[in-house]
Amino acid sequence: MSEYSVIGQRIPKLDAREKVTGRCKYAGDMRMEGMLYGKLVRCWDYAHAEVVKIDFSEARKVPGVVKCLGPKDVTRKNYNTTIMKLLVPAVFSDVFGEIADLNIFNARVKHQGDVVCGIIAKTEKAAERAAEKVKIEYKPLPVIMTAEESKKKNAIQFTPLKPGNLAANFPDSFFPNNEYGWNAEDGKTVHQKFKDADLVVEDTFYVPRQKQVQMENHAYVALYDDRGRLNCWTSTQMPKLVQNLIGELFELPLTRVRLVQTPIGGGFGCRLGMIAEPHACAMAMAVPGIPVKIEYLREEDWVASESRASGHFYVKAGFKKDGTPVACYGDYQVLKGGYYTHGSGPPFCTAAFMHGMYKWQAMGCKADIWFNNMVPFGAYRGYGNPENTFGVEQLVDRACNKLGIDPIGWRKKWAKGIGDESWLKGVNFVSSGLDDCVKEAKKKIGWDKKKKQYANQKGVKRRGVGIGIMQHTSGAWPMLLEHSNVIMRLNEDCTVEIMASVSDLGTGAHTAVTQMAAEALGWPIDDVHLKCCDSDVNGFDIGAHASRTIYCVGRAVMQTAADLKKQLLERAAQNLQLKLEDVEFAEDKEIVCTWDSSKRINCRTIAEQSIYSFDDPATGKTIGIPGQMVAHYSDFVKHCSPPFAACCAEVEVDIETGEVKVLCLSNAHDIGKAIHPPSVEGQLEGGAHQGLGYILSEDIYYDDKGLCLNNDFTDYKMFGASDMPAENYVTLVESAPDDIGPFGAKSCGESALMGPIGSVANAIYDAIGIQITDAPVTPERVLAAIKKNGGVK
Amino acid sequence: MSNSRILPEFELLAPKTMSEAVDMAARYGDRATVLAGGTDVIIMLEKNAVKPEYVIALGEIPDLDYITYSKADGLTIGALATAYQLVQDKKVKKKYPALWQAAASLGSPQIRNAATIVGNILRASPSGDCCCAMLALGGSVVLESTSGRREVSIDDFFIDYGKIERREDEIAVELKLPPVEDASTSAFLRMTRMTFDLSKVSAAVSLQMSGKKCKAVRMAMGAVAPTAIRIKKAETMLEGVTITEKLLSDVAATVSRQVKPIDDVRSTADYRREVSGVLAKRVIKAACNV
Repeated sequence: MSEYSVIGQRIPKLDAREKVTGRCKYAGDMRMEGMLYGKLVRCWDYAHAEVVKIDFSEARKVPGVVKCLGPKDVTRKNYNTTIMKLLVPAVFSDVFGEIADLNIFNARVKHQGDVVCGIIAKTEKAAERAAEKVKIEYKPLPVIMTAEESKKKNAIQFTPLKPGNLAANFPDSFFPNNEYGWNAEDGKTVHQKFKDADLVVEDTFYVPRQKQVQMENHAYVALYDDRGRLNCWTSTQMPKLVQNLIGELFELPLTRVRLVQTPIGGGFGCRLGMIAEPHACAMAMAVPGIPVKIEYLREEDWVASESRASGHFYVKAGFKKDGTPVACYGDYQVLKGGYYTHGSGPPFCTAAFMHGMYKWQAMGCKADIWFNNMVPFGAYRGYGNPENTFGVEQLVDRACNKLGIDPIGWRKKWAKGIGDESWLKGVNFVSSGLDDCVKEAKKKIGWDKKKKQYANQKGVKRRGVGIGIMQHTSGAWPMLLEHSNVIMRLNEDCTVEIMASVSDLGTGAHTAVTQMAAEALGWPIDDVHLKCCDSDVNGFDIGAHASRTIYCVGRAVMQTAADLKKQLLERAAQNLQLKLEDVEFAEDKEIVCTWDSSKRINCRTIAEQSIYSFDDPATGKTIGIPGQMVAHYSDFVKHCSPPFAACCAEVEVDIETGEVKVLCLSNAHDIGKAIHPPSVEGQLEGGAHQGLGYILSEDIYYDDKGLCLNNDFTDYKMFGASDMPAENYVTLVESAPDDIGPFGAKSCGESALMGPIGSVANAIYDAIGIQITDAPVTPERVLAAIKKNGGVK
Repeated sequence: MSNSRILPEFELLAPKTMSEAVDMAARYGDRATVLAGGTDVIIMLEKNAVKPEYVIALGEIPDLDYITYSKADGLTIGALATAYQLVQDKKVKKKYPALWQAAASLGSPQIRNAATIVGNILRASPSGDCCCAMLALGGSVVLESTSGRREVSIDDFFIDYGKIERREDEIAVELKLPPVEDASTSAFLRMTRMTFDLSKVSAAVSLQMSGKKCKAVRMAMGAVAPTAIRIKKAETMLEGVTITEKLLSDVAATVSRQVKPIDDVRSTADYRREVSGVLAKRVIKAACNV
């Protein structure tokens, strides 16, 4: 028997039925009386241009057009889409050089799909037709796509706020030598330390601009209502922070901004911060009292919402002959895209996850982030870690190969563990299930047997096995604020309404949070209900990012439940005229006296009397204790319990065509405690899907004018169901519960994306003896590498 | 900008007979687009790649979805026969494996339920799988207009990128593939980025064998030129000789020299050239079952 009765149970997800039947109402499904449609007019023909003139005269003639909005018709305040500045002390924000460089309607187009103006019409079709008829005169500007072009002295400047087009780096005042890392114990820097190495391996890796491709296109409804409140229905991952940003942008107090979070049809970081909430709200303010809906097309979503960072990542690693890791250095030259948005966030995390993985004697990583005319990068599941994994995991295997060391043994020996410093300075690992992850991943793929079997292959199809390990995070503290609020209100029938702003991106978070609440109260799951998604009701929460929800909100849920239980015990003791220490919980919501079980009261009685409070007609005394019971906890987690994972992959490489087929994937994840196991497994499978896309098939391609060549499913290739490995094992390792995470749980939201990247790259290396340094590892690249190498091993 | 939700305006015409349809084609000429399965036309409409005033939808013309085979006339495929129907046809699978394999890999199951074989040929995409297969198998496209029917050999049908030997007043009514002899064999192979995808290189071959000796051959490649193309130099090398590993690698080298691929978002010219030979070699082996 498990010590738990609700968590760990394989119950159906609470939202399963509405999702499966298609009855779930996303923002795009919303219809309101008199609702108008907004269309954002984007620049499709240029990646860089000045808007010279906007002519609405033909657009206005389209029947059904209500308003045509240009830059002067909306707030011209600059903003930044991200929530970063809200989550760090103001002084940090300044040090890191946060800027606001975006407008609702932009006078200068900085990437294809940038918004220039807008149309409001009675139907979506009329809005579309009118948008086509807006005549915009552009003055084309030089298009900058590479870091080399961006940093040139005479290059056109993206913003006066960032001279030299350097959007961000790691500021020297905070990061000596612009690097994040540590010096060796002997005082040597990472650069000096390479002299102590017997073997140095290095390479420059191209890391791709992957797109989240969440199933639900961005959609919004906004209404500036008759009470002067600005309402916005959006599937943002961060409703409370977006409420704050909208309030700031439109200069409204939070009492006049209502954000309702609609069901989220996938996020993966794409809905982190604002996307077109400002546009929907600006349009709503132009037609007070009438709701306006904006729904992106897939093609718009692709070019106009933030992607993963891309660029060139140079990695150098030094080792002693016995494998001792001496030094590791990284230099990431990153393409920012047209706007600052997340600035240095994801590249910093590339450095941070390099920091958290292995016991180098010295380590350092820098990043320069250059403006260019691509879609801006923002957040995408993994947030910097895929880049780190792709480079470092391959160099580790290269070194192990040269030194004749087993790559699994090396990782087990030199990965950081309990007591070591994690991705962020000052935060040490308190738990690690890495060894068990390695054991399980290896076992399920049949590592030893396959390794022998594939030792001496001939023929056209070569197989190989590889491993990749990773560590990630549970929440963003201490890099960013972690704060969650949970309110539990006891109903008169002794059930509980939980009010918390929990974002469920399809991750099962609503189910898991409900399970944790029921478990913490010791009551059946039907006795708790989670009310979320409405800023009028819910207290502050960061929202969903950094794999934080179960870990951070879970802790707040446990604290709040403990408070509610304490309040119940206090009332029971008072009612029974006992001391608090004399009462305890028993079965079926009973509270009994520890030394006389005949003295007892049921929580249902306490709950009912708390609300329906009457005086006894006979005695005149109040029956029970009046006053509805409410518990609240405002939790600031001061840790981030990084989970580990190990992934093994088996691939087959066709050496005549360069095609790579992943035959088997075995991913074992250090979850600590799986609150809702099917959701954890879903996360691991989904993460693998995107990880495989990153390493093998996905990148946004641009032509020389900076125009996107693959903003659709025809030519942006993700893995489909039939492309996934026939054998795909996920293992939930629960042998290392975390002391800080709720019920021992660590995160699983982002981490499964990394394992397939390192393991598949290394399996290809094992199969053909060549490492491919550019992702995605396409057949074209594999074949070119084989030719360059003069054949395979 | 294309719109993936709202189609541009056009008048939808739904003829009930082929003679009505050809009347419409005669009347509207290049102002009309013909729609059968719609899997390509609808996308092109959405992307504004075609801007017709009229769409002539053949869907209501009865009995156009036939697939028939006879020893005398060979295979005939009606204008509304879908890829799914063809894949279900055991005779096609046995006698025209190249076409069957091309149809079976076309798009995705959902696409195959709607897409027609004739439509795939008329789209004439360089990466059109059935174009490549049919070019290897030989045959003709039957076109009808108010002045009657004519047959155009598949060898003359693809003129240039997106250009076919069809007049604006004509509607394709069926495909004809010659009868196959017992010693005939064929195969189709393709390379894609993902399973459900457009070909980045494809190859098809039909062979008449006498033991290990090749009596007659037609070989075609897709996505390596503005249209699917025949590789006649390779055919000459194969005809009348015994197929050996050495011959196959010579054929592969020839094919790689013969193709004229381009760089695009799906692949590179260099890669396509290189793997064209590999695919050619493999498709011959697949047809000969070796």
